[in-house]
Amino acid sequence: MSQNTNECISLREERARRENRARIPVKCAQRNRFIPGFLIGVVVLSVISLLYLQIDWLKLASRVPDIGEVFWELAHLDFANMDLIWSSLIETISIAVLSLLYSLLLGIVFGMLAARNVFRIPVLSVLTQSFFTFLRAVPTPVWVLLMLVCLGMGPEAGVAGLCVHTTAFFTKSFAQSFESIPDETIEALEVTGAGRLGIFCNAVLPAALSQIVAWSGMRLETNFSECAILGMVGAGGIGYVISNSLQGYDYGTAGVAILLVFLVAYAIERMFVKIKKKFN
Amino acid sequence: MQPILKFEQVEKRYPNGVQALKGVSFEVSEGEFISVIGPSGSGKSTLLRAINRLIPITGGSVLLDGQEVSGQRGGSLRALRRKVGMIFQNYNLVYSLSVLQNVLHGRLGYMKGVKGIFGLYSEEDKREALALLGELGMEQFSYNRAADLSGGQKQRVGIARAIMQKPKLLLCDEPIASLDPSSAKTIMDLLHDMTQRRNIACIVNLHQLDVALKYSTRIIGLARGEIVFDGAPEDLDDATIEKIYGTSRENLMIGGGGTLDDKTDPAYCA
Repeated sequence: MSQNTNECISLREERARRENRARIPVKCAQRNRFIPGFLIGVVVLSVISLLYLQIDWLKLASRVPDIGEVFWELAHLDFANMDLIWSSLIETISIAVLSLLYSLLLGIVFGMLAARNVFRIPVLSVLTQSFFTFLRAVPTPVWVLLMLVCLGMGPEAGVAGLCVHTTAFFTKSFAQSFESIPDETIEALEVTGAGRLGIFCNAVLPAALSQIVAWSGMRLETNFSECAILGMVGAGGIGYVISNSLQGYDYGTAGVAILLVFLVAYAIERMFVKIKKKFN
Repeated sequence: MQPILKFEQVEKRYPNGVQALKGVSFEVSEGEFISVIGPSGSGKSTLLRAINRLIPITGGSVLLDGQEVSGQRGGSLRALRRKVGMIFQNYNLVYSLSVLQNVLHGRLGYMKGVKGIFGLYSEEDKREALALLGELGMEQFSYNRAADLSGGQKQRVGIARAIMQKPKLLLCDEPIASLDPSSAKTIMDLLHDMTQRRNIACIVNLHQLDVALKYSTRIIGLARGEIVFDGAPEDLDDATIEKIYGTSRENLMIGGGGTLDDKTDPAYCA
Protein backbone atom coordinates (compact mmCIF):
# COMPACT_ATOMS: atom_id res chain seq x y z
CA MET A 1 0.00 0.00 0.00
CA SER A 2 2.72 2.46 1.03
CA GLN A 3 4.53 1.80 -2.22
CA ASN A 4 1.41 2.78 -4.13
CA THR A 5 1.07 6.14 -2.39
CA ASN A 6 4.71 6.90 -3.02
CA GLU A 7 4.20 6.22 -6.69
CA CYS A 8 1.15 8.51 -6.75
CA ILE A 9 3.09 11.37 -5.19
CA SER A 10 5.98 11.04 -7.60
CA LEU A 11 3.57 10.92 -10.55
CA ARG A 12 1.85 14.10 -9.38
CA GLU A 13 5.20 15.88 -9.01
CA GLU A 14 6.18 14.79 -12.46
CA ARG A 15 2.98 16.14 -13.98
CA ALA A 16 3.37 19.47 -12.14
CA ARG A 17 6.91 19.81 -13.44
CA ARG A 18 5.75 19.20 -16.98
CA GLU A 19 2.93 21.75 -16.75
CA ASN A 20 5.38 24.41 -15.60
CA ARG A 21 7.44 24.02 -18.72
CA ALA A 22 6.31 25.78 -21.91
CA ARG A 23 6.79 22.84 -24.31
CA ILE A 24 5.52 19.39 -23.54
CA PRO A 25 8.11 16.70 -24.26
CA VAL A 26 6.94 13.76 -26.35
CA LYS A 27 9.87 11.37 -26.26
CA CYS A 28 10.31 8.40 -23.95
CA ALA A 29 11.61 9.23 -20.50
CA GLN A 30 14.27 6.55 -20.70
CA ARG A 31 16.08 7.00 -23.96
CA ASN A 32 18.42 4.37 -25.32
CA ARG A 33 21.85 6.01 -25.06
CA PHE A 34 23.33 3.42 -27.38
CA ILE A 35 21.58 4.62 -30.55
CA PRO A 36 23.15 8.14 -30.81
CA GLY A 37 26.51 6.60 -29.92
CA PHE A 38 26.12 4.07 -32.71
CA LEU A 39 25.15 6.72 -35.26
CA ILE A 40 28.12 8.90 -34.32
CA GLY A 41 30.37 5.84 -34.67
CA VAL A 42 29.05 5.18 -38.18
CA VAL A 43 29.74 8.78 -39.24
CA VAL A 44 33.29 8.70 -37.83
CA LEU A 45 34.08 5.40 -39.55
CA SER A 46 32.68 6.67 -42.85
CA VAL A 47 34.90 9.76 -42.76
CA ILE A 48 37.97 7.66 -41.94
CA SER A 49 37.17 5.26 -44.82
CA LEU A 50 36.72 8.11 -47.27
CA LEU A 51 40.05 9.64 -46.30
CA TYR A 52 41.83 6.29 -46.45
CA LEU A 53 40.53 5.27 -49.89
CA GLN A 54 41.11 8.74 -51.38
CA ILE A 55 38.18 8.36 -53.73
CA ASP A 56 38.36 10.74 -56.68
CA TRP A 57 34.75 11.90 -56.87
CA LEU A 58 35.34 14.04 -59.96
CA LYS A 59 36.72 11.12 -61.93
CA LEU A 60 33.85 8.97 -60.69
CA ALA A 61 31.32 11.55 -61.84
CA SER A 62 32.94 11.86 -65.28
CA ARG A 63 32.59 8.09 -65.80
CA VAL A 64 28.88 7.93 -64.84
CA PRO A 65 27.66 8.21 -68.46
CA ASP A 66 29.71 5.07 -69.25
CA ILE A 67 27.38 3.04 -67.04
CA GLY A 68 24.49 3.73 -69.38
CA GLU A 69 26.67 2.94 -72.37
CA VAL A 70 27.75 -0.44 -71.02
CA PHE A 71 24.16 -1.41 -70.22
CA TRP A 72 23.15 -0.26 -73.70
CA GLU A 73 25.82 -2.54 -75.14
CA LEU A 74 24.69 -5.41 -72.95
CA ALA A 75 21.15 -4.95 -74.21
CA HIS A 76 22.31 -5.75 -77.73
CA LEU A 77 21.97 -9.46 -77.11
CA ASP A 78 24.25 -11.58 -79.24
CA PHE A 79 23.06 -15.16 -79.66
CA ALA A 80 26.06 -16.32 -81.72
CA ASN A 81 27.69 -18.21 -78.83
CA MET A 82 24.49 -19.85 -77.58
CA ASP A 83 25.88 -23.41 -77.40
CA LEU A 84 28.74 -22.26 -75.16
CA ILE A 85 26.33 -20.27 -72.97
CA TRP A 86 23.89 -23.18 -72.68
CA SER A 87 26.53 -25.74 -71.80
CA SER A 88 28.10 -23.47 -69.18
CA LEU A 89 24.69 -22.56 -67.77
CA ILE A 90 23.84 -26.25 -67.40
CA GLU A 91 27.24 -26.78 -65.80
CA THR A 92 26.50 -24.02 -63.28
CA ILE A 93 23.08 -25.47 -62.47
CA SER A 94 24.64 -28.91 -62.04
CA ILE A 95 27.27 -27.55 -59.66
CA ALA A 96 24.55 -25.80 -57.64
CA VAL A 97 22.33 -28.90 -57.52
CA LEU A 98 25.14 -31.30 -56.63
CA SER A 99 26.53 -29.08 -53.90
CA LEU A 100 23.00 -28.71 -52.56
CA LEU A 101 22.44 -32.47 -52.47
CA TYR A 102 25.71 -33.29 -50.72
CA SER A 103 25.26 -30.44 -48.26
CA LEU A 104 21.69 -31.52 -47.57
CA LEU A 105 22.83 -34.98 -46.48
CA LEU A 106 25.80 -33.65 -44.52
CA GLY A 107 23.66 -30.88 -43.02
CA ILE A 108 21.10 -33.37 -41.70
CA VAL A 109 23.83 -35.47 -40.09
CA PHE A 110 25.68 -32.53 -38.55
CA GLY A 111 22.44 -30.72 -37.71
CA MET A 112 21.45 -33.81 -35.74
CA LEU A 113 24.74 -33.62 -33.83
CA ALA A 114 24.39 -29.89 -33.30
CA ALA A 115 20.77 -29.95 -32.10
CA ARG A 116 20.66 -29.96 -28.33
CA ASN A 117 17.56 -32.14 -28.08
CA VAL A 118 18.63 -35.17 -30.13
CA PHE A 119 21.54 -36.75 -28.30
CA ARG A 120 21.37 -34.55 -25.20
CA ILE A 121 25.17 -34.29 -25.03
CA PRO A 122 25.77 -30.53 -24.62
CA VAL A 123 29.52 -30.80 -25.36
CA LEU A 124 28.83 -32.43 -28.73
CA SER A 125 26.33 -29.73 -29.73
CA VAL A 126 28.59 -26.89 -28.69
CA LEU A 127 31.62 -28.36 -30.48
CA THR A 128 29.68 -28.99 -33.72
CA GLN A 129 28.04 -25.57 -33.60
CA SER A 130 31.30 -23.70 -33.05
CA PHE A 131 33.20 -25.68 -35.69
CA PHE A 132 30.59 -24.83 -38.32
CA THR A 133 30.39 -21.23 -37.16
CA PHE A 134 34.07 -21.03 -38.02
CA LEU A 135 33.46 -22.57 -41.46
CA ARG A 136 30.60 -20.14 -42.05
CA ALA A 137 32.71 -17.13 -41.15
CA VAL A 138 34.93 -17.71 -44.17
CA PRO A 139 33.06 -16.63 -47.33
CA THR A 140 32.31 -19.08 -50.15
CA PRO A 141 34.68 -17.60 -52.80
CA VAL A 142 37.57 -18.04 -50.37
CA TRP A 143 36.62 -21.70 -49.89
CA VAL A 144 36.41 -22.18 -53.64
CA LEU A 145 39.84 -20.60 -54.14
CA LEU A 146 41.23 -22.92 -51.46
CA MET A 147 39.63 -25.90 -53.19
CA LEU A 148 41.02 -24.74 -56.54
CA VAL A 149 44.47 -24.90 -55.02
CA CYS A 150 43.77 -28.34 -53.54
CA LEU A 151 41.75 -29.97 -56.34
CA GLY A 152 42.81 -28.03 -59.41
CA MET A 153 40.70 -25.94 -61.80
CA GLY A 154 37.24 -27.13 -62.76
CA PRO A 155 33.77 -27.83 -61.44
CA GLU A 156 35.00 -30.25 -58.69
CA ALA A 157 36.50 -27.31 -56.83
CA GLY A 158 33.26 -25.38 -57.27
CA VAL A 159 31.18 -28.23 -55.82
CA ALA A 160 33.59 -28.80 -52.92
CA GLY A 161 33.92 -25.11 -52.07
CA LEU A 162 30.17 -24.52 -52.18
CA CYS A 163 29.59 -27.63 -50.08
CA VAL A 164 31.72 -26.36 -47.21
CA HIS A 165 29.74 -23.17 -46.78
CA THR A 166 26.35 -24.70 -47.54
CA THR A 167 26.88 -27.56 -45.10
CA ALA A 168 27.83 -25.05 -42.41
CA PHE A 169 24.69 -23.06 -43.19
CA PHE A 170 22.45 -26.14 -43.18
CA THR A 171 23.94 -27.43 -39.94
CA LYS A 172 22.87 -24.30 -38.17
CA SER A 173 19.45 -23.95 -39.74
CA PHE A 174 18.55 -27.64 -39.51
CA ALA A 175 19.69 -27.77 -35.88
CA GLN A 176 17.32 -24.89 -35.21
CA SER A 177 14.49 -26.72 -36.95
CA PHE A 178 15.17 -29.88 -34.96
CA GLU A 179 15.25 -27.93 -31.73
CA SER A 180 11.86 -26.41 -32.50
CA ILE A 181 10.25 -29.87 -32.16
CA PRO A 182 8.45 -29.90 -28.78
CA ASP A 183 10.34 -31.73 -26.04
CA GLU A 184 7.10 -33.51 -25.09
CA THR A 185 6.95 -35.21 -28.49
CA ILE A 186 10.48 -36.53 -28.01
CA GLU A 187 9.57 -37.57 -24.46
CA ALA A 188 6.62 -39.53 -25.83
CA LEU A 189 8.96 -41.62 -27.99
CA GLU A 190 11.56 -41.94 -25.27
CA VAL A 191 9.06 -43.74 -23.07
CA THR A 192 8.52 -46.39 -25.74
CA GLY A 193 12.14 -47.39 -25.17
CA ALA A 194 13.25 -46.19 -28.62
CA GLY A 195 16.91 -45.28 -29.13
CA ARG A 196 18.13 -41.77 -29.89
CA LEU A 197 18.68 -42.43 -33.62
CA GLY A 198 15.30 -44.12 -33.90
CA ILE A 199 13.60 -41.11 -32.31
CA PHE A 200 15.47 -38.76 -34.63
CA CYS A 201 14.61 -40.61 -37.84
CA ASN A 202 11.00 -41.45 -36.93
CA ALA A 203 9.85 -38.29 -35.18
CA VAL A 204 12.23 -35.34 -35.37
CA LEU A 205 13.15 -35.61 -39.05
CA PRO A 206 9.60 -36.08 -40.41
CA ALA A 207 8.35 -33.21 -38.25
CA ALA A 208 11.11 -30.91 -39.53
CA LEU A 209 10.82 -31.97 -43.19
CA SER A 210 8.83 -28.99 -44.45
CA GLN A 211 11.32 -26.62 -42.88
CA ILE A 212 14.20 -28.52 -44.47
CA VAL A 213 12.59 -28.15 -47.89
CA ALA A 214 12.15 -24.42 -47.33
CA TRP A 215 15.79 -23.99 -46.33
CA SER A 216 16.96 -26.03 -49.34
CA GLY A 217 14.97 -23.91 -51.78
CA MET A 218 16.42 -20.76 -50.34
CA ARG A 219 19.90 -22.18 -50.47
CA LEU A 220 19.63 -23.53 -54.05
CA GLU A 221 18.86 -20.01 -55.17
CA THR A 222 21.85 -18.60 -53.26
CA ASN A 223 24.13 -21.38 -54.47
CA PHE A 224 23.16 -20.74 -58.07
CA SER A 225 23.98 -17.03 -57.85
CA GLU A 226 27.18 -17.73 -55.94
CA CYS A 227 28.11 -20.31 -58.53
CA ALA A 228 27.89 -17.59 -61.17
CA ILE A 229 30.46 -15.58 -59.23
CA LEU A 230 32.64 -18.65 -58.67
CA GLY A 231 33.08 -19.15 -62.40
CA MET A 232 34.99 -15.89 -62.41
CA VAL A 233 37.62 -17.26 -60.02
CA GLY A 234 38.03 -20.35 -62.22
CA ALA A 235 35.55 -22.91 -61.01
CA GLY A 236 33.88 -23.26 -64.41
CA GLY A 237 30.31 -22.49 -65.37
CA ILE A 238 28.53 -19.43 -66.65
CA GLY A 239 30.57 -17.03 -64.53
CA TYR A 240 33.59 -17.88 -66.59
CA VAL A 241 31.72 -17.01 -69.80
CA ILE A 242 30.50 -13.71 -68.33
CA SER A 243 33.89 -12.56 -67.10
CA ASN A 244 35.63 -13.74 -70.28
CA SER A 245 33.26 -11.96 -72.66
CA LEU A 246 33.28 -8.79 -70.55
CA GLN A 247 37.06 -8.71 -70.62
CA GLY A 248 36.97 -9.21 -74.41
CA TYR A 249 34.39 -6.38 -74.76
CA ASP A 250 31.94 -8.97 -76.13
CA TYR A 251 29.01 -7.30 -74.41
CA GLY A 252 26.33 -9.05 -76.46
CA THR A 253 27.29 -12.54 -75.25
CA ALA A 254 27.70 -11.32 -71.66
CA GLY A 255 24.25 -9.75 -71.85
CA VAL A 256 22.62 -13.03 -72.87
CA ALA A 257 24.46 -14.91 -70.10
CA ILE A 258 23.51 -12.36 -67.42
CA LEU A 259 19.88 -12.42 -68.55
CA LEU A 260 19.80 -16.22 -68.34
CA VAL A 261 21.33 -16.17 -64.84
CA PHE A 262 18.58 -13.80 -63.78
CA LEU A 263 15.84 -15.92 -65.36
CA VAL A 264 17.05 -19.17 -63.81
CA ALA A 265 17.40 -17.61 -60.33
CA TYR A 266 13.90 -16.20 -60.64
CA ALA A 267 12.50 -19.55 -61.82
CA ILE A 268 14.11 -21.38 -58.88
CA GLU A 269 12.57 -18.93 -56.44
CA ARG A 270 9.08 -19.24 -57.93
CA MET A 271 9.37 -23.02 -58.01
CA PHE A 272 10.20 -23.30 -54.34
CA VAL A 273 7.47 -20.90 -53.30
CA LYS A 274 5.06 -23.36 -54.96
CA ILE A 275 6.70 -26.44 -53.44
CA LYS A 276 6.66 -24.94 -49.96
CA LYS A 277 2.93 -24.31 -50.23
CA LYS A 278 2.35 -27.96 -51.10
CA PHE A 279 4.27 -29.08 -48.02
CA ASN A 280 2.28 -27.20 -45.40
CA MET B 1 2.25 -62.14 -6.21
CA GLN B 2 5.09 -59.76 -6.90
CA PRO B 3 4.06 -56.12 -7.32
CA ILE B 4 4.69 -54.56 -10.74
CA LEU B 5 5.80 -51.30 -9.23
CA LYS B 6 7.22 -50.50 -5.84
CA PHE B 7 8.14 -47.06 -4.49
CA GLU B 8 10.34 -47.08 -1.39
CA GLN B 9 10.85 -43.77 0.40
CA VAL B 10 11.26 -41.95 -2.92
CA GLU B 11 12.59 -38.40 -2.69
CA LYS B 12 12.90 -35.83 -5.45
CA ARG B 13 14.49 -32.46 -4.97
CA TYR B 14 14.87 -30.27 -8.05
CA PRO B 15 18.06 -28.25 -8.55
CA ASN B 16 16.09 -25.10 -7.72
CA GLY B 17 15.43 -26.46 -4.24
CA VAL B 18 11.81 -27.53 -4.71
CA GLN B 19 11.12 -30.77 -2.88
CA ALA B 20 8.60 -32.46 -5.20
CA LEU B 21 8.43 -35.86 -3.50
CA LYS B 22 9.00 -36.58 0.19
CA GLY B 23 9.37 -40.18 1.30
CA VAL B 24 6.75 -41.61 -1.06
CA SER B 25 6.09 -45.35 -0.69
CA PHE B 26 3.46 -47.51 -2.35
CA GLU B 27 3.02 -50.69 -4.38
CA VAL B 28 1.06 -51.42 -7.53
CA SER B 29 -0.18 -54.90 -8.49
CA GLU B 30 -1.48 -56.27 -11.77
CA GLY B 31 -4.86 -55.05 -12.97
CA GLU B 32 -5.11 -52.13 -10.56
CA PHE B 33 -6.58 -48.82 -11.80
CA ILE B 34 -5.13 -46.12 -9.61
CA SER B 35 -5.96 -42.42 -9.71
CA VAL B 36 -3.48 -39.95 -8.30
CA ILE B 37 -5.18 -36.74 -7.17
CA GLY B 38 -3.86 -33.56 -5.64
CA PRO B 39 -3.57 -29.84 -6.33
CA SER B 40 -1.22 -28.44 -8.98
CA GLY B 41 2.36 -28.60 -7.80
CA SER B 42 1.70 -31.48 -5.39
CA GLY B 43 4.12 -33.72 -7.29
CA LYS B 44 1.73 -35.82 -9.41
CA SER B 45 3.67 -35.36 -12.66
CA THR B 46 7.00 -35.91 -10.92
CA LEU B 47 5.66 -39.13 -9.39
CA LEU B 48 4.63 -40.45 -12.79
CA ARG B 49 7.88 -39.46 -14.51
CA ALA B 50 9.99 -40.98 -11.76
CA ILE B 51 8.60 -44.40 -12.73
CA ASN B 52 10.25 -44.52 -16.18
CA ARG B 53 13.14 -42.27 -15.19
CA LEU B 54 12.11 -39.33 -17.35
CA ILE B 55 12.93 -37.54 -14.12
CA PRO B 56 15.75 -39.10 -12.08
CA ILE B 57 14.98 -39.38 -8.36
CA THR B 58 17.30 -38.08 -5.66
CA GLY B 59 16.57 -40.61 -2.92
CA GLY B 60 14.90 -43.93 -2.15
CA SER B 61 14.24 -46.52 -4.85
CA VAL B 62 11.76 -47.30 -7.60
CA LEU B 63 11.40 -50.99 -8.44
CA LEU B 64 9.76 -51.79 -11.76
CA ASP B 65 8.93 -55.45 -12.27
CA GLY B 66 11.53 -56.29 -9.62
CA GLN B 67 14.29 -54.20 -11.18
CA GLU B 68 15.76 -51.03 -9.75
CA VAL B 69 15.03 -48.15 -12.17
CA SER B 70 17.47 -45.52 -10.93
CA GLY B 71 20.63 -47.50 -11.72
CA GLN B 72 19.68 -48.25 -15.33
CA ARG B 73 21.23 -46.61 -18.35
CA GLY B 74 21.35 -47.09 -22.11
CA GLY B 75 19.98 -50.36 -23.40
CA SER B 76 18.76 -51.75 -20.09
CA LEU B 77 16.90 -48.51 -19.32
CA ARG B 78 15.24 -48.67 -22.75
CA ALA B 79 14.26 -52.30 -22.11
CA LEU B 80 12.66 -51.25 -18.81
CA ARG B 81 10.90 -48.29 -20.42
CA ARG B 82 9.27 -50.62 -22.95
CA LYS B 83 7.29 -52.14 -20.08
CA VAL B 84 5.69 -48.81 -19.27
CA GLY B 85 3.36 -47.05 -21.69
CA MET B 86 2.55 -43.39 -21.26
CA ILE B 87 -0.30 -41.11 -22.30
CA PHE B 88 -0.05 -37.33 -22.18
CA GLN B 89 -2.38 -34.38 -21.74
CA ASN B 90 -1.24 -32.91 -25.07
CA TYR B 91 -1.15 -36.29 -26.88
CA ASN B 92 2.42 -35.59 -28.13
CA LEU B 93 1.97 -37.28 -31.49
CA VAL B 94 4.14 -36.58 -34.53
CA TYR B 95 1.52 -34.60 -36.41
CA SER B 96 3.09 -34.75 -39.87
CA LEU B 97 2.90 -38.56 -39.88
CA SER B 98 -0.07 -40.86 -40.43
CA VAL B 99 -2.17 -42.21 -37.58
CA LEU B 100 -0.84 -45.71 -38.30
CA GLN B 101 2.79 -44.53 -38.19
CA ASN B 102 2.14 -42.89 -34.84
CA VAL B 103 0.66 -46.10 -33.45
CA LEU B 104 3.62 -48.10 -34.77
CA HIS B 105 5.99 -45.82 -32.85
CA GLY B 106 5.01 -47.95 -29.88
CA ARG B 107 7.04 -50.79 -31.40
CA LEU B 108 10.26 -48.78 -31.84
CA GLY B 109 11.60 -49.91 -28.48
CA TYR B 110 11.51 -53.54 -29.64
CA MET B 111 13.30 -52.96 -32.93
CA LYS B 112 17.02 -53.26 -33.19
CA GLY B 113 19.56 -51.54 -35.43
CA VAL B 114 18.67 -50.36 -38.91
CA LYS B 115 15.05 -51.52 -38.69
CA GLY B 116 14.44 -49.32 -35.69
CA ILE B 117 16.27 -46.34 -37.13
CA PHE B 118 14.40 -46.35 -40.42
CA GLY B 119 11.09 -47.52 -39.00
CA LEU B 120 10.83 -50.74 -41.03
CA TYR B 121 7.95 -52.35 -39.15
CA SER B 122 7.05 -56.00 -39.60
CA GLU B 123 3.76 -56.98 -41.26
CA GLU B 124 2.68 -58.55 -37.99
CA ASP B 125 3.16 -55.25 -36.14
CA LYS B 126 1.19 -53.45 -38.85
CA ARG B 127 -1.69 -55.95 -38.60
CA GLU B 128 -1.72 -55.56 -34.84
CA ALA B 129 -1.70 -51.76 -35.07
CA LEU B 130 -4.63 -51.81 -37.49
CA ALA B 131 -6.54 -54.21 -35.24
CA LEU B 132 -5.88 -51.94 -32.26
CA LEU B 133 -7.12 -48.91 -34.20
CA GLY B 134 -10.21 -50.94 -35.07
CA GLU B 135 -10.78 -51.72 -31.40
CA LEU B 136 -10.61 -47.99 -30.64
CA GLY B 137 -13.00 -47.14 -33.50
CA MET B 138 -10.28 -45.34 -35.43
CA GLU B 139 -9.68 -47.72 -38.33
CA GLN B 140 -11.06 -45.37 -40.98
CA PHE B 141 -8.52 -42.70 -39.96
CA SER B 142 -5.48 -45.01 -40.17
CA TYR B 143 -3.98 -43.22 -43.16
CA ASN B 144 -4.95 -39.66 -42.18
CA ARG B 145 -2.39 -37.20 -40.92
CA ALA B 146 -2.43 -37.10 -37.13
CA ALA B 147 -2.72 -33.30 -37.34
CA ASP B 148 -6.19 -33.57 -38.92
CA LEU B 149 -7.79 -35.39 -35.97
CA SER B 150 -9.89 -33.94 -33.14
CA GLY B 151 -8.59 -33.90 -29.57
CA GLY B 152 -10.44 -37.03 -28.52
CA GLN B 153 -9.26 -38.88 -31.62
CA LYS B 154 -5.68 -37.80 -31.01
CA GLN B 155 -5.85 -39.17 -27.49
CA ARG B 156 -7.17 -42.49 -28.86
CA VAL B 157 -4.09 -42.64 -31.09
CA GLY B 158 -2.02 -41.94 -27.96
CA ILE B 159 -3.68 -44.88 -26.22
CA ALA B 160 -3.06 -47.15 -29.23
CA ARG B 161 0.62 -46.15 -29.30
CA ALA B 162 1.00 -46.95 -25.61
CA ILE B 163 -0.81 -50.31 -25.91
CA MET B 164 1.38 -51.26 -28.90
CA GLN B 165 4.28 -51.34 -26.46
CA LYS B 166 2.61 -54.32 -24.74
CA PRO B 167 3.22 -52.59 -21.42
CA LYS B 168 2.72 -54.03 -17.95
CA LEU B 169 1.95 -50.60 -16.62
CA LEU B 170 0.24 -47.62 -18.23
CA LEU B 171 0.89 -44.09 -16.99
CA CYS B 172 -1.59 -41.35 -17.90
CA ASP B 173 -0.62 -37.77 -17.20
CA GLU B 174 -3.92 -35.87 -17.06
CA PRO B 175 -5.26 -37.67 -20.13
CA ILE B 176 -8.58 -35.79 -20.28
CA ALA B 177 -7.54 -32.30 -19.14
CA SER B 178 -7.69 -30.88 -22.70
CA LEU B 179 -10.88 -32.69 -23.78
CA ASP B 180 -14.57 -31.84 -23.85
CA PRO B 181 -16.79 -33.76 -21.37
CA SER B 182 -18.05 -36.23 -23.96
CA SER B 183 -14.61 -37.10 -25.40
CA ALA B 184 -13.29 -37.26 -21.84
CA LYS B 185 -15.82 -39.94 -20.97
CA THR B 186 -15.00 -41.93 -24.12
CA ILE B 187 -11.29 -41.78 -23.30
CA MET B 188 -11.75 -42.81 -19.66
CA ASP B 189 -14.03 -45.70 -20.71
CA LEU B 190 -11.50 -46.85 -23.30
CA LEU B 191 -8.60 -46.57 -20.87
CA HIS B 192 -10.49 -48.53 -18.27
CA ASP B 193 -11.70 -51.27 -20.63
CA MET B 194 -8.48 -51.74 -22.56
CA THR B 195 -6.29 -51.97 -19.47
CA GLN B 196 -8.69 -54.30 -17.64
CA ARG B 197 -8.97 -56.57 -20.68
CA ARG B 198 -5.20 -56.87 -20.98
CA ASN B 199 -4.59 -56.94 -17.25
CA ILE B 200 -2.40 -53.84 -17.45
CA ALA B 201 -2.01 -51.83 -14.28
CA CYS B 202 -2.90 -48.18 -14.83
CA ILE B 203 -1.91 -45.03 -12.96
CA VAL B 204 -3.84 -41.90 -13.91
CA ASN B 205 -3.12 -38.34 -12.76
CA LEU B 206 -6.43 -36.56 -12.49
CA HIS B 207 -7.84 -33.19 -11.57
CA GLN B 208 -11.43 -34.42 -11.79
CA LEU B 209 -12.41 -35.94 -8.45
CA ASP B 210 -15.68 -37.43 -9.73
CA VAL B 211 -13.84 -39.21 -12.56
CA ALA B 212 -11.33 -40.60 -10.07
CA LEU B 213 -14.14 -41.88 -7.84
CA LYS B 214 -16.00 -43.48 -10.75
CA TYR B 215 -13.21 -45.43 -12.45
CA SER B 216 -10.54 -46.21 -9.87
CA THR B 217 -9.99 -49.32 -7.85
CA ARG B 218 -7.72 -47.24 -5.65
CA ILE B 219 -6.99 -43.57 -5.09
CA ILE B 220 -3.72 -41.97 -4.00
CA GLY B 221 -3.94 -38.42 -2.67
CA LEU B 222 -0.83 -36.27 -2.86
CA ALA B 223 -0.25 -33.00 -1.05
CA ARG B 224 3.07 -31.12 -1.09
CA GLY B 225 4.95 -34.20 -2.23
CA GLU B 226 3.57 -36.55 0.42
CA ILE B 227 0.96 -39.28 0.22
CA VAL B 228 -1.88 -38.22 2.50
CA PHE B 229 -4.37 -40.84 1.33
CA ASP B 230 -4.00 -44.29 -0.18
CA GLY B 231 -7.09 -46.46 -0.31
CA ALA B 232 -10.36 -47.44 -1.94
CA PRO B 233 -12.57 -44.71 -3.47
CA GLU B 234 -15.28 -45.46 -0.86
CA ASP B 235 -12.93 -44.48 1.94
CA LEU B 236 -12.23 -41.03 0.54
CA ASP B 237 -14.26 -38.86 2.93
CA ASP B 238 -14.64 -35.09 3.12
CA ALA B 239 -11.96 -34.75 5.78
CA THR B 240 -9.41 -36.50 3.55
CA ILE B 241 -10.35 -34.39 0.55
CA GLU B 242 -9.81 -31.33 2.69
CA LYS B 243 -6.40 -32.63 3.67
CA ILE B 244 -5.42 -33.23 0.03
CA TYR B 245 -6.58 -29.93 -1.43
CA GLY B 246 -6.06 -27.83 1.71
CA THR B 247 -9.60 -26.46 1.54
CA SER B 248 -13.06 -27.70 2.37
CA ARG B 249 -15.20 -29.54 -0.14
CA GLU B 250 -17.50 -26.54 -0.73
CA ASN B 251 -14.56 -24.61 -2.21
CA LEU B 252 -13.83 -27.31 -4.78
CA MET B 253 -15.35 -27.59 -8.20
CA ILE B 254 -15.75 -31.33 -8.12
CA GLY B 255 -15.43 -32.66 -11.62
CA GLY B 256 -12.94 -30.25 -13.13
CA GLY B 257 -10.74 -27.23 -12.75
CA GLY B 258 -7.34 -27.20 -11.16
CA THR B 259 -7.35 -23.60 -9.93
CA LEU B 260 -8.09 -24.47 -6.35
CA ASP B 261 -4.83 -23.18 -4.92
CA ASP B 262 -5.67 -19.49 -5.35
CA LYS B 263 -8.20 -19.44 -2.57
CA THR B 264 -5.89 -20.92 -0.02
CA ASP B 265 -3.14 -18.47 -0.90
CA PRO B 266 -2.81 -16.22 2.18
CA ALA B 267 -1.82 -13.26 0.01
CA TYR B 268 -5.18 -13.50 -1.76
CA CYS B 269 -7.10 -12.84 1.47
CA ALA B 270 -4.96 -9.92 2.57
